[in-house]
Amino acid sequence: MFKNYLLVAMRTLKRNLGYTSLNVVGLALGITCSLLLYLVIRHELSYDTFHSKADRTYRINVDKISAHGPESNAGTPYPMLAVLKASLPELTPATHLYNEEGGTFTVLSLNDQEAPRKFREEKNVLFVEPAFFDLFDFPTNGINGKQALKDLNTVLLTQTIADKYFPGENPVGRVLRMNNLVNLKVTGVIPDAPENTDLPYQMLIDYESSKKINTFANDSWNSTYSNQQIYFALSPGANLKQAEDRLNEVASKYRPRSPGEQERYTFQPLTQVHFDERYGNFKSRTISKTTLWAMGLIGMFLVLVASINFVNLATAQALRRAKEVGMRKVLGANKQQLMTQFLLETGMITLTALSLSVVLTELLLPSLSKLLELQLAFSILRDPQLLLFLAVLLVAVTFFAGFYPALVISGFQPISALKSKTATARAAGLSLRRTLVVLQFTVCQVLIICTIIVHNQMEYFRSASLGFDKEAIVNIPLPSGKAKDLMALRPQLEAHPAIKATSFAIAPPSANIDMNTSFRYDEFSVERNFSVNMKMADEQYLQTFNIPLLAGRMYEKSDTMREFLVNETFLRQVGETNPQAALGKELVINGNQNQGKIVGVVKDFHLTSLRDKIQPVVMSTFTDIYLSLNVKLEQKNAKAALAHLQNVYQTAYPDDVFHYEFFDDSISRFYEGEQRQAYLFKVFSVIAILIGCLGLYGLVSFMVAQRTKEVGVRKVLGASSASIVGLFSVDFVKLVLIAFVIAGPISYYFMDKWLQDFTYRINIGYWVFLAAGALTLLIALTTVSVQALRAAFSNPVRALKTE
Amino acid sequence: MLKTVNLQKKYTTDEVETTALVNVNLNVRQGEFVAIMGPSGCGKSTLLNIIGLLDNPSSGEFYFLDKEISKFSERQRANLRKEHLGFVFQSFNLIDELTVYENVELPLIYLKVGNAERKQRVEQVLEQMQIAHRRNHFPQQLSGGQQQRVAIARAVVSKPKLLLADEPTGNLDSAHGQEVMQLLSSLNEQGTTIVMVTHSPTDADYAHRIVNLFDGQIISENVKELAIL
Ligand SMILES: Nc1ncnc2c1ncn2[C@@H]1O[C@H](COP(=O)(O)OP(=O)(O)O)[C@@H](O)[C@H]1O
Ligand SMILES: [Mg+2]
Repeated sequence: MFKNYLLVAMRTLKRNLGYTSLNVVGLALGITCSLLLYLVIRHELSYDTFHSKADRTYRINVDKISAHGPESNAGTPYPMLAVLKASLPELTPATHLYNEEGGTFTVLSLNDQEAPRKFREEKNVLFVEPAFFDLFDFPTNGINGKQALKDLNTVLLTQTIADKYFPGENPVGRVLRMNNLVNLKVTGVIPDAPENTDLPYQMLIDYESSKKINTFANDSWNSTYSNQQIYFALSPGANLKQAEDRLNEVASKYRPRSPGEQERYTFQPLTQVHFDERYGNFKSRTISKTTLWAMGLIGMFLVLVASINFVNLATAQALRRAKEVGMRKVLGANKQQLMTQFLLETGMITLTALSLSVVLTELLLPSLSKLLELQLAFSILRDPQLLLFLAVLLVAVTFFAGFYPALVISGFQPISALKSKTATARAAGLSLRRTLVVLQFTVCQVLIICTIIVHNQMEYFRSASLGFDKEAIVNIPLPSGKAKDLMALRPQLEAHPAIKATSFAIAPPSANIDMNTSFRYDEFSVERNFSVNMKMADEQYLQTFNIPLLAGRMYEKSDTMREFLVNETFLRQVGETNPQAALGKELVINGNQNQGKIVGVVKDFHLTSLRDKIQPVVMSTFTDIYLSLNVKLEQKNAKAALAHLQNVYQTAYPDDVFHYEFFDDSISRFYEGEQRQAYLFKVFSVIAILIGCLGLYGLVSFMVAQRTKEVGVRKVLGASSASIVGLFSVDFVKLVLIAFVIAGPISYYFMDKWLQDFTYRINIGYWVFLAAGALTLLIALTTVSVQALRAAFSNPVRALKTE
Repeated sequence: MLKTVNLQKKYTTDEVETTALVNVNLNVRQGEFVAIMGPSGCGKSTLLNIIGLLDNPSSGEFYFLDKEISKFSERQRANLRKEHLGFVFQSFNLIDELTVYENVELPLIYLKVGNAERKQRVEQVLEQMQIAHRRNHFPQQLSGGQQQRVAIARAVVSKPKLLLADEPTGNLDSAHGQEVMQLLSSLNEQGTTIVMVTHSPTDADYAHRIVNLFDGQIISENVKELAIL
């Protein structure tokens, strides 16, 4: 029986090759996308799940409600860990982690003849305490990490770094000098950090050494730095909520809250670190669960659209099978047997499509991995989970695509089927086909609308005025605490004709560095219940970035904090309406450490990405903390200018590696995640439309074939080609319009939600919907016309003869 | 073998009611060869379809192998069909995707006949219908007469008690038509009961008894020779 089914299936599929290929190609496209998305989603969900204590490991975050809204941060005060260990023994093991965004590394040579080799890393140098190895289960290749990093100034290199720094040599026992500040002894080589961790590292260094590297390190309960975090495991049986309350209680002794200030330390499960954008992570990449859901939905929709093609083509083609079905019934086949037969046929099509998808996935995965900057693995045979997914997909698609057609076809009455009088079946199938086509158009239009909106928001990111210049400016990172050395060479630095302005500062106006402090303004004796963002920069900052002053003047040149600038938001929040009124007022920041007069007010500029609201800013000078040289160049002589900059830089820092980045590039990196999303949306919309078109094309070609005679008669009676095309198009225009009415509100709802993530965002205009509707209509009509025109231009006499 | 009592069949389409059969009382005995004749549209096919359990009567009783079956479910009727009935149609109705051999094999597959026996029975009936040399051809590669022989082979391979034929020679030229009739006739001689619809008096000559239908009613029956009883 089975063999017979297979045989017929194979021959039927071969005979209707066109129809079969439409289905296979459509399904293969849909399945490939869903397979790729599955791999991405699975990867994202796997972050840090491989640690044996993963389900009871937490990070300590800070949640604040201040005048300018909720603030979240994963940085913790430096003295907290000691207090935690003393008063909360159930939180163990607990460890500090300090992440340094790269640095310069000098490989000290064994003898004096050889020049030391210098390397620059851009990210993820991780400082850990021995407890790190108790808490996490990173691969160490048998090395006892606790032992290896128990001494001061020790480092474990990952294989990649070891190969890079010590090609062909044994690194163990050798010495690396970091940032020209600390000598680190290599105590071992461990495998590279796995891809799916939010605690990535290129090397692991003992935590104590971080105190020399981290310029922000201090013993105050009042400052936090987002690269300094605490992770711990909750002992089995201990109560999380109680521990959290207890920590806050203990901490409040050390860090008294001012009235109205709401601040709380909260415990975030390790497995959530990857998904919560508010707190971020050392990988600097989070992905929201919503995005993952959206991806999953898109994957499902693509398979749905392809399955719909199948249903449409199969039911439209059902008549062709009528005779066979009728005869099988006459011979005593029952409905279940026929259903099985047709489901098997669908299963074969699906299986073919699935196999094709596996090949396509294999081909496309490298590009996708590159696009998403992920290392996605795809090795079917060694991946039972993936095999299961494929099996589920096979069964689901087979049933989804095959069930209804099988029901229709197996339901034919034998006599009428033999007479091909299946008018009733055809009519029923017709309204279903209409519904399904509407569904397809709806999915396509939703995707088109989303694509347009995401694209527009990206454009907005690119073109929105940020309140400062970002073109033709380069940022050059400076070794920490040594800005003075280069500042001393300033005349030489600015001597080059292509260099228009320079400014030393902690960071450019928009950057990921975020220093916050509490403050006192004017005669208020209590600190305000909001903190301010500190921008430390020299007196040429405004000029270099072209940031306008609203009142007063720029502060004078100084090495320490003496005069202050504030921004508009600051004024609003302290209740000043007139910028002039703020001038001359006294400001005390950093506890009672620094104090001075406000000498000017700057226009608001964006401090971080457009996701976030502009915060109150206090600007002042403070040479010791500058980490960045910002240079405004003449664009067309940028090359010469950069060479000159490097020259001067090397004079000031002979042991460091020169490195620069264009400011507009680093700003666009704020939106990398969104940019990828935008790209994925585009790709998937195009694929959805393509699949939809395949189905539509098949459907129309079938309709045209069915109505050949009618078209012939109409033409003999004098119908024009246009009216024939119209005959086939009118129906589809209606369907597109219905889909439009459904797609509009759905996509508005979701995109409105998506845009809420950005404080600064576009308005969704009506034209977006109209454009999407028009585009779908155009695509649908083009597809329909290709086939309809063939009918319209066919010779009517031949059409009539063939019947 | 089968008996109808006051069989009625009405079709209702778009408020037009067509009465296809009116009070048909027909009795067919084991071993008989009955021909049903009458003008186009008089209800011949309708009657044959009801006898063949492909359709339900609107009213009346229908006994098949002494069982009243007009109220049988679709599934029960499918089972009776595959065990006891064979069909031959004017338009052959072979399955285009299957070869001659596979077409003939199909009823045995639905009957779940074992592999070896199936092969033997198919070969045997293909020999009998003189079509064995074409066993691997597809229907479109055969002439009309050959196709109808395959169709008959398929109808009788399951050794049905009753063979129903609706204008089996309607699509064939007279020479091929006669071939088919001789085949049916010899099947009847070997014991298969046959009910056949036909327009052709020549074909009807092969039958023992001719039932004349007009406007859904039996108007006369001529017994050509005494049935073998
Ligand atoms: N499915 C049907 N629906 C409506 N009327 C039908 C149907 N099948 C047959 N008829 C009508 O029943 C009558 C008998 O048809 P049929 O048995 O096919 O005639 P014959 O085979 O004698 O030519 C005709 O009037 C025909 O129009
Ligand atoms: Mg008829």
